[in-house]
Amino acid sequence: MCKCKIGKFFLKLFGILFAANAVLFVVFFFDLDGKLLFNVVEPFLKKHYDNMKRKDVLNMPYDTDKFPKYKYDEK
Amino acid sequence: MKDLKHLIYFENLLQEANNELVQQGKKEGLRAIGYTCYFMPEVLLDLPGCFSVRLRAPRCTSPDIATYYMSGRVCHYGRSLMERALEGGFNFLDAQMATETCTVTCRFQEHIQPKHLDSVEDMRIIDNDDFFCEFTDVPFKNSENSYRHFETQLRAHVLEPLHEHYGIDISDEALVKTIEEHNELCRLINEIGDYRKLDNPNITGYEFHVIQLVSLVCPKHLILPYIRETAEELKTREPEPKFPFRCKVVLAGSENDDPDFTKLIEGCGAMVVCDRYCYGAVESRQPIVLEEGKSVLRCIAEHYLKTSNCPRFMPQDEMRARKQRIANLAKEYKADGVIVASNKFCEYWSYERTIDTFILKRDYGLPVCSIEKEYINSASGQLRTRFQAFVESIEIKHIQEGK
Amino acid sequence: MAKKKMTKALRDFWYGKPHSAEEGGRRLGEILEDKTQLYKHREWRGVKDTFYYMYMIWGYNYVHMVTDILKYSNNPIDFFKGTWRYRWMGQTYLPVIHWFDRGLQGMRGEALRASAWHYRAMVSASIQQICNFFNGDTRLHGGKQNDAYWHTFLAKETTCGTLFYPWMDAGYQYVPIEMIPYFVTCHVNSHTVLNYIDAAQSIGLPGDPCPMCQAEAGIYVLDDVPDCAPFVITCNEACDGSVGTAILQDWFIDKPLFALPLPMQFDDPLVKQYCMREIEECWKFIEEQTGVPFDFDCMVKYLERQNKLQRDEWEKWDVAAKTDYYPVNGVAQALFRIFSTQYGIQGDFWEENSEKVKKIMYKCVEKKINPFPQTRHRVIAWSCAPLYYSNWCTWAYNCWGLNTIINMDSLMFDMEFRTDSYEHMLEDMATYHMWAPMRRMAVGGMHHIFELWDYMERFNCDMVAMYDQLQCKGMQGVHGLFEDEFRKRNVKAFWMPHALPDCRTVSRAEIRGYINDYMTTVMHEEPLDPSLLDFDDSMTW
Repeated sequence: MCKCKIGKFFLKLFGILFAANAVLFVVFFFDLDGKLLFNVVEPFLKKHYDNMKRKDVLNMPYDTDKFPKYKYDEK
Repeated sequence: MKDLKHLIYFENLLQEANNELVQQGKKEGLRAIGYTCYFMPEVLLDLPGCFSVRLRAPRCTSPDIATYYMSGRVCHYGRSLMERALEGGFNFLDAQMATETCTVTCRFQEHIQPKHLDSVEDMRIIDNDDFFCEFTDVPFKNSENSYRHFETQLRAHVLEPLHEHYGIDISDEALVKTIEEHNELCRLINEIGDYRKLDNPNITGYEFHVIQLVSLVCPKHLILPYIRETAEELKTREPEPKFPFRCKVVLAGSENDDPDFTKLIEGCGAMVVCDRYCYGAVESRQPIVLEEGKSVLRCIAEHYLKTSNCPRFMPQDEMRARKQRIANLAKEYKADGVIVASNKFCEYWSYERTIDTFILKRDYGLPVCSIEKEYINSASGQLRTRFQAFVESIEIKHIQEGK
Repeated sequence: MAKKKMTKALRDFWYGKPHSAEEGGRRLGEILEDKTQLYKHREWRGVKDTFYYMYMIWGYNYVHMVTDILKYSNNPIDFFKGTWRYRWMGQTYLPVIHWFDRGLQGMRGEALRASAWHYRAMVSASIQQICNFFNGDTRLHGGKQNDAYWHTFLAKETTCGTLFYPWMDAGYQYVPIEMIPYFVTCHVNSHTVLNYIDAAQSIGLPGDPCPMCQAEAGIYVLDDVPDCAPFVITCNEACDGSVGTAILQDWFIDKPLFALPLPMQFDDPLVKQYCMREIEECWKFIEEQTGVPFDFDCMVKYLERQNKLQRDEWEKWDVAAKTDYYPVNGVAQALFRIFSTQYGIQGDFWEENSEKVKKIMYKCVEKKINPFPQTRHRVIAWSCAPLYYSNWCTWAYNCWGLNTIINMDSLMFDMEFRTDSYEHMLEDMATYHMWAPMRRMAVGGMHHIFELWDYMERFNCDMVAMYDQLQCKGMQGVHGLFEDEFRKRNVKAFWMPHALPDCRTVSRAEIRGYINDYMTTVMHEEPLDPSLLDFDDSMTW
């Protein structure tokens, strides 16, 4: 009875692993990951980045005396 | 205004690198030493026994063979020099004192350098058995370490080779004497240039450009008498009764040895009152000051690193100070705006121009005309349109300000 | 006949189809979708290699892309926040496995395994850098300057990582600013960088400066650089455009910035002293900014690890030069070398993966396995490569049997450090710093770029792939001399025009066209795999 349960468990485990691997293989072999990324994820992200509000860096200050002269070898 | 006595003579001197005075200098037994960049101290090449010639390729509009060697995607100035060299136009040179201060002029100088390598055949472009080309490493900073390095470089790669090859006297006495002559030239050029600060100057930007250029490309002792005379002449030269231009501008930017470019700007109504570009007088005509406790060569090295406004200088304070300096020049010369011009394919100035265009306007309130140009552009209708529009915008600004 | 067919089908199933058309080849071009180059189905490389690819490359790297985040990130949530915030991150990180696919296309056996380990190391190094970016990024932490922020060095990407070793044990990390947002991005997803080039031009920068420098400026124009360190070190990369970029970057960074230029005439012995002092000044700047003193012992510790990596590389080069048993393909060799030398030792990924590759290489040598059996020509690639098509050499091998053995940039940093004294170390540091990437082609005298002939001989190459970066003024400036020398020496060489990161200037298809033309009209050769001759990959990553 016990042996049978263990056997069934392993059989089930094997079945699950096999099925998982089969699914993975299908994803891998037919490049489903690539197709998802190319056709769905990237366009979505691109849209997001294109519409993102960004700082106008041209408004950054440009002070001539903000930083010291980094000179370490002066007499 | 009355024509300057020597202007046509000066203009003729600028038609060829191997001009009348260069030929005369050679006949006197002097060695002609070429260079391209401000960082090669002109004063060292003017030591007794030799004279400096800052290389130009006037009227070179179609550098075909140079384009084969350097492609059409590099600075037209570098290619034009190469073309002129290939045509034999620089055969009068006895040496080229090279600097690797911008890529394309460096490549040009590497082409003319007898390299004596197995890996690449020398082209013997300069057909002169005595000719040699020596490179000096120029630092990117103006720090103590850089001064020390530059002094060492100038001794090893300029003075000693001149002495070894041509027996040039490189003693301190000789250097001091050359500096004196150099400083006299600087004094005269500045005296002439200062007239541009007047409300109604008695010299045009074009005339000054021509005078400055001849001072760079002719033996000093031969050109000095003419410049002295011109300075005297200007003391009494009457300006036009009414300022003949519509505004005044500072011209800043990359290599420019084409007086016709200045003429083009002035033809559009903007007088070029200040020349803050490679080959301009703002840097190159500052007198060299000898300081006590420092060797003469050290003073020269420091002078050239301290006075340069080249965008290849990288310390943070220096990068930022350059914009302030242009603004100061605009104030000093009472300019209404700034034209920032970079040669096509000049990478340093492409960036510097971009930032100048924003900062000079935003932080200093100066109208800026930002243009990209070729080495020779006198026929450019596009540029003319740009300058005309710029002049008009300055006039409109003046009207709005009630001036 | 049917039996023959069945036997072949079984053989093809078990071993994968043979390479060449003559043997009833695999026709790799037919398994890819037009334009996007997504796989209709992935390549059947035989049972062993297909499942190796699935488990040890595809699956393994997907898993490690997660575990590496857990390993290097202070807070994995930051990684997702960063992905959402930065374009170079989102658009680049996800297609990483397809970067493997492109580089490893058609590889079998040892070549597949060894090349993939080089890729693995690069992915790990990239994730570490990304985490270093995000750990201290004030934008991801509500504007707060956390501990990681104060322990990060930011430097222009061609400032060599070795300079920062003395502070590694004090908990500091070095991040080369543009290495991920620009350099890696171009390889993985060539579209991303175009945004940055366009951004740089949108503020008035002309289109003719080097597009690499444009892109490096553009990431700032688009405000797409993490704010993760209190100060910055910049350098000139030994080219005019990079100096220009530094001017723009300084404006947009607006932080204490130290310039550490590479001297131009770097062969001149007088220059070394100057460079040594500059490096020391840089170290003083770091000490001043961090308050942490220079640690020579720490420096030595990391330099010795780096020396070991260098010796490994020499061993690999030796096998590549003298035998047919070197198992790493052209792109994996080049990128691993450039990336590892530039970034330096900041983790164990370089060493670990290098060891794995060495093992495979020893096996090839011992068992006389030729991992690239269809090699017709041994190619040396000279000048700098198109970043958007660094895998051209994989294509060239598959299509024409052109096996790229070595390239110019791999040969930079070709030295060990002496660690017996501070003076020796400093002297070597100066040399190392001066031999930066692209140095040979950019500046310092023509003799460096014309060392090509020596290296051709040393690596036993019979053909040159001459990269022609159209906007590199240094290389354009010697174009004609190379033409002359190729003719004079009767060297088989093809030019490959490109625009470094910008695939719009010269497309990948055009690059292939140049090579195809050369191979058919000059070499009069037939392609190994005709399906790869002409295809449209204009939309691919």
